[in-house]
Formats: sequence, C-alpha cells, structure tokens
Amino acid sequence: MKRKNLLRVWIVLVACILALAAGIGIGSVMIFPADILGILGNKLFSLPLPAAVEASEVSIVWSIRFPRCLSAFLAGAALSASGTVMQSILRNPLASSYTLGVSSGASLGAAVVIVAGFTLPLAGALTLPLFGFVFGLGTVLAVIGFASRMDRGLENQTIILTGMVFSLFVNACMTLLSVLHQNYMQQLIRWQMGSFSGNSWEQVGILAVVMAAGVLYLCRFTRQMDMMTFGEEAARTMGVDTKRAKLKLIVAASLLTGTAVCFTGTVGFIDLIAPHVTRRVFGPAHKYVLPVSALFGGAFMVLADTLARTVLAPAELPVGAVTALIGAPFFAWVYFKGRGKA
Amino acid sequence: MSNKALELDGVFAGYGENPVLKGISFSLEEGRRLAVLGPNGSGKTTLLRVLDGLLDWRGKLKILGKDASGMKREELAKSVAMMSQFSGASLPYTVEETVLMGRYVHMPRGIFAGPGEKDRRAARECIRAAGLSGWENRRVTELSGGQLQRVFLARTLAQEPSVILLDEPTSHLDLKYQTELMDYLKNWGQQPGHTVVGVLHDINLALRLADTFLFIKEGKILAFGGKEILTPHLLDETYGMDVAAYMREAADRMEEIINGKHLSKPL
Repeated sequence: MKRKNLLRVWIVLVACILALAAGIGIGSVMIFPADILGILGNKLFSLPLPAAVEASEVSIVWSIRFPRCLSAFLAGAALSASGTVMQSILRNPLASSYTLGVSSGASLGAAVVIVAGFTLPLAGALTLPLFGFVFGLGTVLAVIGFASRMDRGLENQTIILTGMVFSLFVNACMTLLSVLHQNYMQQLIRWQMGSFSGNSWEQVGILAVVMAAGVLYLCRFTRQMDMMTFGEEAARTMGVDTKRAKLKLIVAASLLTGTAVCFTGTVGFIDLIAPHVTRRVFGPAHKYVLPVSALFGGAFMVLADTLARTVLAPAELPVGAVTALIGAPFFAWVYFKGRGKA
Repeated sequence: MSNKALELDGVFAGYGENPVLKGISFSLEEGRRLAVLGPNGSGKTTLLRVLDGLLDWRGKLKILGKDASGMKREELAKSVAMMSQFSGASLPYTVEETVLMGRYVHMPRGIFAGPGEKDRRAARECIRAAGLSGWENRRVTELSGGQLQRVFLARTLAQEPSVILLDEPTSHLDLKYQTELMDYLKNWGQQPGHTVVGVLHDINLALRLADTFLFIKEGKILAFGGKEILTPHLLDETYGMDVAAYMREAADRMEEIINGKHLSKPL
C-alpha cells in the first residue's frame, strides 16, 4: 500500500514536469524540450546556448512562457491544496474557500480598483492584485468572525451558511458597481474569468513563496484533518482542539486562494476536483492527498492554460472555462473507470 | 484510601439557555464501573459530554484529582476517552489507519512525524483486543455498524485513557457481541487505575458491567451507589412505569422458551 503510493507520487511528479514542458514548448512558436533545457541552462548556469536556438525563442521561453506556466502551476497548486483543506474540515465535498467568499471579495476589490482607476504609490501594477487579496481575505475573516459570534462552537453549517450570505451580499455590491459603471463591465468580466497572460517573474516569486509556505504549514495538520473527517466530536475526544485547528486552517487556505485569485482571477473547478481525484487514487489519508492534489492541480492548470491560449489562437479562451470544460469529463472518467474494481 | 477518578460538585450544563444538568454532585473512585441510567432526555449523554470536555459547564469538576476547568484538550484526551454512538465514517480509511488516530496524543508532532513502532504495536494490540485481527486493511466505509463499533472500541483503547466513557455502546451490536463487549469492558475496568462510565438503556447489561449506579431524571440525581440501591421503587420512579411487572413478564416468556413450550401470549 505504502510502496504503491510512493511510486504513484513519482508518477505524479513526472507528469508535472511533462505538463510544464508541454506548456512551455507549445504555442505559435514550437520549442522542443531539449531547447528548453538549453535555454534554462543558459539562464541559470550561463551555459552556452544550443546552436539552433534563436534569440527570439530565448525571450519567448524565458520572459513569457516560463513565468506564465510557473504561475499557472503555482496558482493551480495553491487552489487545490486549499480546496482539499476546506472539503475536509467543513466535511462537505462541495466546499472551497470560494464558498467562504474569497472570490467574491477579491472580485469586489478588483472592481473597485478598475472602476476608480487608481494605483497606489509603491504598489504600482500590483495595486489590483493587492486590493483583490485584501478584499478576499477580509471577506473570509468577516465570515469567520460573524460565524463564531453566532455559534461559539463554530459548527460547519454555520460557517457555510454565513459564507453563502456574505458571498451573495458582496456579489450584490459588485453587481451594483458594474451597473453604475457599465463601461468597465468588459474589463471586469475578463478579470473574473481568469487568465495567466502577462504574468511576470515577480508574480511567480510572490506566488512561489506563498504557495510553499502555505502548503508546508497545512501539511502540519494532516493528521488532525484525518481525524476531523470522523466528525469534530470524535476528533476532540482524541485530543484535537478542533476550533483552533479549524480557524488556522481556514485562514491559511484562504490566504493561498486569495493569493492565487488576485493574480489570475477566479479560476474555478480545479479546487473542487483535484482533491476528489487524488483521494480516488491515493486513498483518504491527508499526508498524501494534500501534497499530491497540489501537484495534480498545478499540472492540470498548466495544461488548461496551454489549451486556453492555443485552441483558438491567436484568440485566447478564459482559463476558467477550460478547466471546467476538460475537468468535468476527466472527473467523470476517473470515477467511472474505477467502478467495479472498488 | 483509593484515588478519585471523578469528582463533581454542583455541575450545571446545557444547550442554549436551558440547563439540562441541574446541579449534579457525586464522586467516583478509581477502579469503579459506573452505569448511568435514566429516561430519555434526562441528561445522561449531556453528563458524558461534560466529562469529555465537549460541552461547557458550571460548577466544580475534577478528573483524576485535577481541576478540569482550563484543562487543555490534549491533556484531557490522555486521561479520558469516549466511545460514542454517533461517530460515523465518511472516508475510506483502513481499520489500522483509523485505530492509529487514537494514538494522536501519544505521537510526536511535526510535518514529517508519524506513528512510531510503539504506536503501531499498541494499535495492533487494540485491534486484536476488539476481535478485528486480520481486518487491518479493510476500509471502514465497507464495515457494518457492529464492525465499525468494534473499530471505535479499538481506537478508544489505543488512546490509553484512564477513564473510558461509553455512550450507548451496544446500540449497533447483536446480543452476543453486546455481552462480549460488556465483559471486555468489565475486565478492562478491573485493571488498576482504570474507570468506566457507561450510559446504558438495558438494565441487564448495566448489571453485567457495573458495580456502581447513577440514576438521573430531569437533570437531577435520583440515586447513586452500589447494587444495594437498586429497588423496584427506584426503577419505577426513574422510568415512570412498573418495571418489575415488565421484567417478570419477560422472565416468564423466557421461562416458556427455555422449557420448550409454545408461547402462551403473543409477543
């Protein structure tokens, strides 16, 4: 069982590398893996470039596709890890940090920046992501604060209900804003649908730091999460301070989602299916499910983004639509394939 | 003089505004096996939830001589474990994984820390004690209610508590395993330093397990003590019916079955 799962982890790691190679190589200019390695060697270790590689290819790979693919990978991983945590601790297979209002909050923040058209000093181009992040996390904190006032035990239904109420309220504010400023609608909708175009190395850096720190932090709680799937009372009886654990996990997971969303828009679906697919293959233990669903979600996002920008090139599809378009059938395939085998 | 496992003095607890327990006071020595009896809604489960720290309470409560207010979850879980009637299994963990969860308070913490050889050995031992040897790799979602109950017994034992709380532990079990479980817990309770507190509906099972009895009704204690407190009057008062007549009727039927006669009265 264990050995089998370790082998599977290696397979997932290889799949991640292949997905990244595909994402970086495929496009209007095709670049082969050997050349990608050559360019990487040149940039990282100042090795001589392969003779066949042109300067334009170097800039396409290094300045455009690398940051784009890496941010897609990191955002996918962050969303999936956060989705896994939310599903487990809220004991609800449909829960995600979107349920708690991260995306509606972030959208409102972005809308405010787009409509008001201002940039903060120092933040510059990062004003929009910064506002999205603050509004997204602010919404979740408001939800948690309100829920714990309503119900000292912080029951799951209370959290989900409060999250829904706040999300709807924030969405209504957003609708109001977009009706009053119709000329910005197009821009807002584009942002909400999500895209990785124009992502820079700085964004990759921020995403990488948050992702790594966030996922490592969440990994400290894998055992508690296992226990909480048996119900909160059972976990408490066995010695888990579930209220504290839940608060820490929700805030950490929302931080991950908030960071991903503020750079890419609200890409859905991945955080929903990555944990389910991973559980199907690896079993329910979180020490596997959490890191592997992050890897799986990352690879899936890279492929979705690659399709989004190539299928109708030069036009680009919103990546959020692609994740659902290929994700739904994939989800069905994984489920029905395993039928009868148990 | 033996040590006190539980000391309660004027304990109130409840849900929302209405207290369910209205001033419960008793103390139980280590090594006792207590059956808590009373009608539905009398506060039996509430009492267990207070003892397991799942519910806020007012009054004085000491567990193993230590003040329970302000006791940390982990500290409490090292002394007290509850085998609940409601705990279900939602994800397909294996029996071994599930029992190992009971070792949580004894395991090292950290990202890469996991169960050690000591934990695995303890889990194996508890799996054997619960009669589940050979089932280690079965998925808990594929088990029957009774089998799952055994897994939860193993998990409770794996926690190595001094006090085991049982909330209707026999609700999913057939007759044979009900008696086996009671005998097992009786034996466990007779080991030095162990105490059992069980909420039970079946007086026969209570008598099989316990040496001390607590009768509660409407959140107050009706009687507390050894077998000598059991009188027809107390049972009638507790359940609001003629318990003796009911028991006699059941005994008569059993007598007829044992003697191989057809039942004279319909069941």
